[in-house]
Amino acid sequence: MLSFIAKRLLSGILLLVVVTSGTFFLAYLAVGDPTPGLLGNSATPAQQAALRTKIGYDQPLLVQFWNWFSNAATGDFGTSWRNFQPVNDQMALRVPVTLSVVVVATVLSAVIGVAVGIACGLRPGGMLDRGLKLASVVLFALPGFWVSLVLVMWFAIELRWFPAIGYVSPDQSVGGWLRSITLPSVSLALGAIVMVGEQLRNGFLQVANQDFVRTLRARGLSGRRVTMHVLRNASPAALTVLALLFVGLLGGAIVVEIVFNLPGIGSLTQSASQIGDIPVLLGLTAVTVVFVVIVNFLLDLVLGWVNPKVRER
Amino acid sequence: MTRTRTAALVATAAAVAAALAACTSSGGGGGGSTGTADTGELKAGVFLDVTSWDPAAADIGFDGPYLSAVYDPLVALDKDGKPVPALAKSWEWSADRLTLTAELRTDVTFDDGQKFDSAAAVANLQHLKAGVRSGQAYLNVAGVEAKDADTVEIKLSKRDDSLLYFMGLGRSWMASPAAIQAGALANGPVGSGPYTYDKANSAPQSQYVFTKKQSHWDSGTYPFPTVKLFPITDQTASFNAMLSGQLNVQFANAANLPKAKENGWNIASKPSSWVGVQFADRTGSQVKALGDQRVRQAISYAFDAAGILKAVGNGSGTVTNQLFPSDNSGVYDKSMNDKYKTDMAKAKQLLADAGYPDGFAVKMPMSPIFAAWQPAANQTFGELGIKVEWQDMAMPDYQKNAPTYPMFLAVIAMSGNDMATLSDQVTTAQWYNPNPSVDAFPEVKALVEQVEKAEPGPQQTELLKQLNTKLVDLAWWSVWYQADNNYFSVKGITVTPITGMMFPTLRFIQRG
Repeated sequence: MLSFIAKRLLSGILLLVVVTSGTFFLAYLAVGDPTPGLLGNSATPAQQAALRTKIGYDQPLLVQFWNWFSNAATGDFGTSWRNFQPVNDQMALRVPVTLSVVVVATVLSAVIGVAVGIACGLRPGGMLDRGLKLASVVLFALPGFWVSLVLVMWFAIELRWFPAIGYVSPDQSVGGWLRSITLPSVSLALGAIVMVGEQLRNGFLQVANQDFVRTLRARGLSGRRVTMHVLRNASPAALTVLALLFVGLLGGAIVVEIVFNLPGIGSLTQSASQIGDIPVLLGLTAVTVVFVVIVNFLLDLVLGWVNPKVRER
Repeated sequence: MTRTRTAALVATAAAVAAALAACTSSGGGGGGSTGTADTGELKAGVFLDVTSWDPAAADIGFDGPYLSAVYDPLVALDKDGKPVPALAKSWEWSADRLTLTAELRTDVTFDDGQKFDSAAAVANLQHLKAGVRSGQAYLNVAGVEAKDADTVEIKLSKRDDSLLYFMGLGRSWMASPAAIQAGALANGPVGSGPYTYDKANSAPQSQYVFTKKQSHWDSGTYPFPTVKLFPITDQTASFNAMLSGQLNVQFANAANLPKAKENGWNIASKPSSWVGVQFADRTGSQVKALGDQRVRQAISYAFDAAGILKAVGNGSGTVTNQLFPSDNSGVYDKSMNDKYKTDMAKAKQLLADAGYPDGFAVKMPMSPIFAAWQPAANQTFGELGIKVEWQDMAMPDYQKNAPTYPMFLAVIAMSGNDMATLSDQVTTAQWYNPNPSVDAFPEVKALVEQVEKAEPGPQQTELLKQLNTKLVDLAWWSVWYQADNNYFSVKGITVTPITGMMFPTLRFIQRG
């Protein structure tokens, strides 16, 4: 098990180095001289030159890369070119917001999706099963921002149960935090719930028809215990979908962050891209890769626990 | 699941939702979207987040409301954009207008206990002159010195009649000299402004809370005991927040004007930027045709400016071919607005007279932000026979590359001061005008020199009018219209927009 963990960690670190280094050069290639975007439309050429010197953009590219990489290796992602604040400070403000929404959306997807998946798997063709099929078609077809706007219109503007915009930190108010992330999380979770439910339902039906299940029933095991066996065998596909969903939601959160004006990493990525704030982009890339590596690592661990054969690969 | 269980689950969900709804939230909420509801505190949706708490690194555009809460300016502006006293009680120009002597208030203390005096003002002005963003306002400042404890002298290397305007616009916020020295302003404001930044109840990049100082020297100008500022870039999110009562003031999208009227909100509008074609190659060095005044005039005649304003700008603006503000500039001349009234036949005739009956070919940059105007440009240039090859690029690249093209579509911020307009749009190098071509036009150059030497007042305004007429006649730009910035506020709160500030400072948001 230890070598299994060590291998996964090493490949994760390698992935982090490759992706962030690649992003560095791609970003420099794509953005070019960032000073016009950073200074806005009133900047003079002299001001642009002064900013280039201040941020070190006038140095050779490889020198800039080494400066960035050597600092990043120690966890220091430099300072934003826009507001000259440490990138780490900005990410410390933004990451909890996105994580709050994405984790709650993932938990909602897991809990409701698993419940719906089992219920549909137990009664294929039933009302709930048909409802799941219809929901999967409808929710996949509807754009995320539209679903978010409908939720805002109804629950924030008409009923005023939840705020239309903004994020409240749990340090300030736990109730306020829950209110502020409920609609964004539900917006993200709706599509994910049907995806997990559908995946589990199909896996459940596939496993339920296998010989060992018939044998378990023949041996007189209770329905609940048989269901547990079926669930354990059907779960790898659903777990994989859930992990992919988490990573997907991390990227997809940008839409809800814009609609609900949440100061998360999605909206920061968007604004940093627009103005060419490369240190912020690189910091966000590194954080996202770390999350992807952690989630995949946890998935491997859980799959290894569910199915010991995986550990031997 | 039985029906009873389902009902129980639904009831539980409703109870949880109701409980959450009952929770108090520092994220705002409550209050009505109409009438005089909820004006006890100011809750304003500002388009962008504060760029920096360091006045030298801040933007003028949208940083005004944030910085005006925590800093006092040396010079402020009144509603007409004229400089008025703030921490500088009064000022006087020398006869040659190369020295500005300012008398300072003596009753002001910064939040860290440091006293505001001439030494503090000098430290601030030197910091602002050196700033990458603020430095432009002080380009002509040669030095600053303290004459005594409450007098400073600003010496200029060249006369600059727009200096006080730029200082009032947002380039003279005074911060604690100790914080400047320590380089601590990027981490948080240390000023003497009318409000205290309530860090504990703020969520940077999402919500900023400020509490009024009752003992502030200008306390009467600021009616709200609490100010909450929300940076909201998405206009739909901002409008939804206004509808839900989370905001009572909003930087608004013109598309929502009818709904704002339906809701009974106050609507304030002011020209903020000009929209049209910028001729970067007026001398014809890249495309010979553009060096001919008749070709530039033809382009001006060809565009249906009123139609573009209606279709793209939601009708929020003023059709004009000038870029001195249409509402409060002494230079703006309404009678000239018909000079380039849409006339395609005349446009084609002018092109033919200039020797281009079949048009000419030109490359122009395009960025997603200008895509809304591209169809109109395509159609108009097409009718003229001008073959445009559009080259797509991202917005930062557009700002960098656009002026290297002979002409480009432009949305450019305007100034609320006539001398600043002359400087920003005609005489000094800007990203949209890196090579001012004044020297190539002797009549323009002569008028500019006369304006810059004239005594400020009616004489200077008269000369500026002559210059404006000349620039319009030369088709210096093809301005289609001046676009308005719009602000919605609930009844009981009024906003007075200022041209030059994308969002007005707090002194312009009042009860009433």
